[in-house]
Amino acid sequence: MADSHATAAAPHARGGHATVKTYINVAVALAIITAVEVASLYIPGIPNPVLVVSLLGMSVIKFFLVVGFFMHLRYDHPILRGLFVGPLVLAIIIILAIMALFSAFVLLPRPH
Amino acid sequence: MADHAATHAVHDPNIGNTGIDHRKMGMWAFLGSDCMFFGSLIGTYLAYKGKSISGPGPHDVFDIPLTSYSAALLLASSLTMVLALAALQNNRVKAATGWLLATALMGLHFVLNQVYEFTTFALHHGLTLSTSLFGSSFFVLTGFHGAHVTGGVIWLLLLVSLAMRGKLDARDYTKVEIAGLYWHFVDIVWIAIFTIIYLIP
Repeated sequence: MADSHATAAAPHARGGHATVKTYINVAVALAIITAVEVASLYIPGIPNPVLVVSLLGMSVIKFFLVVGFFMHLRYDHPILRGLFVGPLVLAIIIILAIMALFSAFVLLPRPH
Repeated sequence: MADHAATHAVHDPNIGNTGIDHRKMGMWAFLGSDCMFFGSLIGTYLAYKGKSISGPGPHDVFDIPLTSYSAALLLASSLTMVLALAALQNNRVKAATGWLLATALMGLHFVLNQVYEFTTFALHHGLTLSTSLFGSSFFVLTGFHGAHVTGGVIWLLLLVSLAMRGKLDARDYTKVEIAGLYWHFVDIVWIAIFTIIYLIP
């Protein structure tokens, strides 16, 4: 309860904020992308690499829609963006490093 | 400029020289570190993928319709969470309480789905934490995510309790915003897990 009204208005300090209409549009987009993701599993004849790349692509779009609009990172201070994106990049490097360590890149040719 | 910042800090001890609420910055730092935590668990799952020598594999046990339903629940709960925040910003406390409760209930439903999924894997397919590399990496990854969701549900219910006792209003926007950041993070981790673990063949 110690928060001031200045704190409540803090998100506006960056000069923009998503509206309820934007939130609903984002939610609809997320629902459609998820439906397409699941449906793509049941469509026969899609080559595996195409399926993998398209699923990852749709997942990345959903990820950034939630982070940008629902978590307001699109409108927030650049310091907060750095605090999240920096470790996120490190996390991706960690995933790739562990996979390389265990020779888990299934899409790449393996030595005999 | 420095005087202005100092005066501002006196008025609200939570706002530092950067103009950012300390609690919010702390939450973003925590979420950044949690990214690396989940990154290592996802990396380990992928490293072990297809290398189990015993027990059922992913496609023997996964129930994609159920997991898709769970994914939809978490996505919907992210919408109700931002609607709670928007309502509180306009000091519509009753609406905010309703949206927060809806968010918590959808989170709880997600956790119950996961309990059902884990139980089915163990009882009907014989897949446990110690069955195979797939079992250990799958249960640790999704189990830690489930623990995060459970923590989020408890946090949301505490906020609902505060609101119902008249101890939450527009001045507490940041408290709800920080809980929302945590909740959305749980959602984005599931977006990654759903695609990488469940959907990719």
